[in-house]
Amino acid sequence: MGTTVQVNTAVYATTHVATNLLRSVRAIIKGCGLDTSRIRDQWEVLELGVSTWLASGHLRALTLEVFDPRRRAGDDLVGRFDFTIDYGYYPDGDGDLWFDPDAVAYAIRKQGSIPSECDYRLITDNAPGRPAVSGWSSTTYRSTAGFTRHAIGTTTGGGALGANLAYYTRRNS
Amino acid sequence: MSVMVRSIASVPVRTSTETWRAIVDLLARAASPGRDRLLAVTNVAAILIAEEYTQQAPIVVTPAAGARVRVRTVHGTDAVDAQTDEIPLAVSPCAGTAWTMSLPCGIDDIEEIRASLSTHSWITVRDVTDGITADPSEPSTKSAGSLVINYEEMGR
Repeated sequence: MGTTVQVNTAVYATTHVATNLLRSVRAIIKGCGLDTSRIRDQWEVLELGVSTWLASGHLRALTLEVFDPRRRAGDDLVGRFDFTIDYGYYPDGDGDLWFDPDAVAYAIRKQGSIPSECDYRLITDNAPGRPAVSGWSSTTYRSTAGFTRHAIGTTTGGGALGANLAYYTRRNS
Repeated sequence: MSVMVRSIASVPVRTSTETWRAIVDLLARAASPGRDRLLAVTNVAAILIAEEYTQQAPIVVTPAAGARVRVRTVHGTDAVDAQTDEIPLAVSPCAGTAWTMSLPCGIDDIEEIRASLSTHSWITVRDVTDGITADPSEPSTKSAGSLVINYEEMGR
């Protein structure tokens, strides 16, 4: 039945985008030479949060913040990668599920080197009323003052869903 | 040694974590000690599934007795059909603690994954390009979702 197919297509797109978002973030962490143990050890919680909030339509963006703990608070951001969710990316599409690892690799190359002492964290931006997911807590973004945002384009998509990648670089670097 | 082969639907039917839980359900019945051992490596196994290494080469389970089990994950549009073709095992090869498991892994990730499993001595990691066998003596014949005929035994 048409309704069933439509529902399943949306569910499949959500799952596909959720897992490939985290796969992309892990590739960035690894590609930047950062310690992958944190994302590895939290994979289940991260995937549950991202998939739950994608399915409910609350997830607006998934962000990887890279920071230098040796620098003072407020001036410790080193790099940032945003995956902004577009729920109307391809509303008339045929349901194709796709992932572009080359776009992610390009963002890693453009970001440049990151000191090995740096740490990172994942942040989601959700619309109000998101369902609760265990293991997540509230926070605020680090300041991006002095940074320039560079858009890469859509890196993964399926059905009406798309995830647009952008990265930040320090203007004086 | 005879071999049983199973396919489990993965992304986009299930997330990588949900896929590992389906594999755990296949291999170890509820409340068994072996199940806890499998669940303890959920994060690592889910990453291997997300990277689709388990599509390229199977997870290989060698129980204390009985047939070896190979589990592959199916991804993309093929996963939709694979979900309806999933067949449970008649036995729980990982219900106890006397089993070993070999997980496939890409060469770029193998050092990290191997180190993260160092405290789980019953689970090892092999290069995904090493093929389908965890043991060179293992026959390579396979059939999705069904028993594999052991031609060596038939010839005796």
